[in-house]
Amino acid sequence: MPATQEDTIAALATPHGESAVALVRVSGGECSRVAREVVGRLLPPRVARHADYRDRAGVVIDDVLFTYFAGPASYTGEDSLEIACHGNPYIAQRVLEDLFARGCRAAEPGEFTKRAFLNGRMDLSQAEAVMDLIHARGERALEAANRQLRGALGRQIEAAIERLVGVVAQVEAYIDFPEEDLPAENRARLRGEVAALRADLGRLLATAHYGALLRDGVRTVIVGEPNAGKSSLLNRLVGWDRALVSPEPGTTRDYLEEPRVLGAHKIRLVDTAGLNPSPAPLERRGIERTLERAAEADLFLVVLDSTRPCPALPAAITGRLTASNTVLVWNKTDLAQPAGVPLPEAWREYGQVAMSALTGDGVGDLEKIVSELIDKEQLSICGDLIAINARHAAALTEATQCLAFAEEKLGDAGTAPDELMASDLRGALDALGRIGGRVDHERVLDKLFSSFCIGK
Amino acid sequence: MAYVFQENVFDVIVCGAGHAGCEAALAAARLGASTLLLTGNLDTIAQMSCNPAIGGQAKGQIVREIDALGGEMAVNTDATGIQFRLLNESKGPAVQSPRAQCDKKAYQFRMKHALELQPGLQIFQATVTGLIVEGGKVVGCHSNLDIDFHGRTVVLTTGTFLRGLLHIGTNKNEGGRLGDFSARTLSGSLEASGIELRRFKTGTPARVLGRSLDFSKMEEQKGDAQPTLFAFHDTRDPEAMFHVEHAGQCQQGWAPGSDQLSCWMTYTTERSAEIVRANKHTSAMYSGQIQGVGPRYCPSIEDKFVRFADKSRHLLFLEPEGRHTDEYYINGLSTSMPFHVQLELIHSIPGMENAVVVRPAYAVEYDYAPPTQLWPSLESRIVEGLFCAGQLNGTSGYEEAAGQGAVAGINAAQKVRGGEPLVLRRHEAYIGVLIDDLVTKGTNEPYRMFTSRAEHRLLLNHGSAELRMLPHLRRLPGLVGVGRLERIEHKAERVGHWCAQLESARSHGVTFGDLIRRVGNEPELPAEFLQEDATVRDEVLYRIRYRGYLEREGRIIERLAGLERVKVPADLDFLAIRGLRKECALKLAAQRPATLGQASRISGVSPADLSVLLVLIESGRAGDGTAPTPPQSMPAS
Repeated sequence: MPATQEDTIAALATPHGESAVALVRVSGGECSRVAREVVGRLLPPRVARHADYRDRAGVVIDDVLFTYFAGPASYTGEDSLEIACHGNPYIAQRVLEDLFARGCRAAEPGEFTKRAFLNGRMDLSQAEAVMDLIHARGERALEAANRQLRGALGRQIEAAIERLVGVVAQVEAYIDFPEEDLPAENRARLRGEVAALRADLGRLLATAHYGALLRDGVRTVIVGEPNAGKSSLLNRLVGWDRALVSPEPGTTRDYLEEPRVLGAHKIRLVDTAGLNPSPAPLERRGIERTLERAAEADLFLVVLDSTRPCPALPAAITGRLTASNTVLVWNKTDLAQPAGVPLPEAWREYGQVAMSALTGDGVGDLEKIVSELIDKEQLSICGDLIAINARHAAALTEATQCLAFAEEKLGDAGTAPDELMASDLRGALDALGRIGGRVDHERVLDKLFSSFCIGK
Repeated sequence: MAYVFQENVFDVIVCGAGHAGCEAALAAARLGASTLLLTGNLDTIAQMSCNPAIGGQAKGQIVREIDALGGEMAVNTDATGIQFRLLNESKGPAVQSPRAQCDKKAYQFRMKHALELQPGLQIFQATVTGLIVEGGKVVGCHSNLDIDFHGRTVVLTTGTFLRGLLHIGTNKNEGGRLGDFSARTLSGSLEASGIELRRFKTGTPARVLGRSLDFSKMEEQKGDAQPTLFAFHDTRDPEAMFHVEHAGQCQQGWAPGSDQLSCWMTYTTERSAEIVRANKHTSAMYSGQIQGVGPRYCPSIEDKFVRFADKSRHLLFLEPEGRHTDEYYINGLSTSMPFHVQLELIHSIPGMENAVVVRPAYAVEYDYAPPTQLWPSLESRIVEGLFCAGQLNGTSGYEEAAGQGAVAGINAAQKVRGGEPLVLRRHEAYIGVLIDDLVTKGTNEPYRMFTSRAEHRLLLNHGSAELRMLPHLRRLPGLVGVGRLERIEHKAERVGHWCAQLESARSHGVTFGDLIRRVGNEPELPAEFLQEDATVRDEVLYRIRYRGYLEREGRIIERLAGLERVKVPADLDFLAIRGLRKECALKLAAQRPATLGQASRISGVSPADLSVLLVLIESGRAGDGTAPTPPQSMPAS
């Protein structure tokens, strides 16, 4: 075994939350011992074995599927153990706690892949997914990167490349073999193929935002009137005094950003300057920055002072609020209960939490409601969980743009020479090649010669 | 003990006087190298062994590049062409290619004369039988005449002559061409030096007599009323341009495009298909007589009917072989079936029912040396001082051969005088694409250039060839005359001036550049501009009209330049690199790319593999097998 004198690590490999099966992965030198202890006997490698999982007290937690992998023939290159239990978060948590009690430690996000890489088990052919994993915070990000690693994105891009190579071969045949007796060129069909391809790439591109959510975290912007307690809330959520707080309204003149893992998710908390309806000159700049942050927000925590009437926030903010991206946080419950404060009509559908940033009362409720909101939102965005990163998105954007140009020229015969349309298509192919690997010209020629009878 | 030729040591010895050899010899001599050109037969110099045409898609651009490098092929074609056509006129200036049918004999005689008149070049008839190699370096060659030749460098252009074997059905003859000899012993000499050889196959169709054809059953294809010539007449010195004609005092009264000859089109019939289907087992190719790999783009007629069975008929062109012969070349009817089947097949075609065949079709198998054994300068990695060009490198086509020949000749001369080799980049020339493809990826069929092989095709329009070669011409004095270099400099200056001028000067508030780019617009341009030479105007308008596209190419080149600049250490042990896929490591180890850019073009090397290499090289830990940290960003490729 390529010995890493490192700890044995364990983590949940499947997304947090309700699912049919939860997979707990263990890797490191202690795996064989742990497996023997838990199952009560030695496990043959690479054979799934159905057995009860008994914790250290001998209590059955769940009936699970064990698979033992002897290093180096495992994902990480180390001895590994995979435990598939029922997808109840509580069960998975119990299994993990038991593993920790047996000497394993919680894996850092991406640590399995990192070990696989360091042990030479991973060739970096999916290097970017590795990078995403290593930087991933939050299990969802891990899952998306894992999927990418397993090639879901690669397969989609490859399929797109294959279709595009077909189109390019068609076009090039008529350019490179002008004197051949080729069948009449069917530009309408080509145009249809280009349009369909562009639509498909557009759908893939739409997951870019989701990818960013997973990697960079959900941008959660804290807004509210001056002195509503926004900075206190940030400090409470991150667990230390990140923001300067004072009873003076308008203490925060710029914005502050702090990452935090919440449940299965990574979020970026953004504290902003209070939205004073009649700001002092110094505050004005801060408010502008707040509106800028709001424009990029994925989620809003609207902090309301329970001791005061509901404020009128700028339309630039309220226009962005929806039931799926907003939580109303009634702060200062240590001073007053928010029950009596009347709400604007549109706000009544939003999730609400009463809490005290000062005492920490109700903060668990807030975390729960935020986590649920993100869960719901993410599932609705992308069931397929293919997340692409910024570089992929840039390449896909370029590809779709190039295809749009080509489509236009195909539909508008005679206005632009075919060599430009071909250049557009080639541009799209190159852009896709930046994700899926360079497309050799030979491949176009292979396609061309297999589709047309060419040669004098 | 062999006699040593003239007891002097030549700077460059060129073996073979085909299209590659002629350009190599002329280029070396023009650069001032004392040059010897050896050929087995002085009467077959620059012979077009297959079709009687120069140019066509991508090839036409190569010919113009050769001209820009001071080569002879373009002028020779212009002077001996009997039909000129510009292909792809409607598809855009970058993919337009000139093509000419040539008078084969006139082409040969004129090229021979050009060689004879070239100062510093000596030609001699002898068949080279082996290389003389000392300490890994070539120092000369042996010949069939028991005469040895001593040289500092050798350019080898063997065409199809290395162990050439001709097939007609089961009939076999040794030879590089029907009626010619086969270079039998040279292959062994190359192999003894450590050079690997493999077999390729190509073929040529039958020739028929024009008076036996019924052209009324065919469709005529005339030349263009206004011929597009290959040579840059605007910068060529008129005296030097036709120095052959001047020297011989035999002005041919050449007038480009006048009195052009026609080609004729006809089609195979259902009967032809039946004949092929019934007899394909008799073909040398199908009966397993031939081991060599043939080109996909030049399939034999039996291949066409078998692989594209649903296509009912195939187009054929009858091309005249010259003004003083009645021979016609049947373009599209390449075959290695027995002669009697060939006859039957030809007679099944409209207009050829009574055709008299004067030469049969045949396939030829020959040795080539996989070109991945070469440096980008075309010098052998195995035998120092040995340069290879043409079909020896696995290519096909007169133009591909001539382009390599020019580069090999230049680089042999550069080697002798200690100069930097000429390595054309992929965005500079089709010749650059050609050589880069060959030495980086090799080829598993006879390699022919297509415009689609050039990723920067839009930058390689035929009209800009001189401007693209200009930076190289400046550092290779002699390749083109002083006067011509000045004229090219002037042209470049005018093009640059007008590109800037038309982008800034306005007409009714809009720049001329924007007016030119408007679709369907024919703006009125400054009178001064219209007085410029047409070659300047065309290039300026091209650059302005395509500005957005050309800029995109520029950005891509810029991005890739980063990879080109990263040199791969010569002692890098690819197989010891962790994180590199085995398959990729093996390929890299075999091909030993000089730069990451070259590595990126090796098929099967992925962006991720490049990342691994980049990290290793940049961190200077190459070879110690330490696992690299993953890169922060992927190199664009």
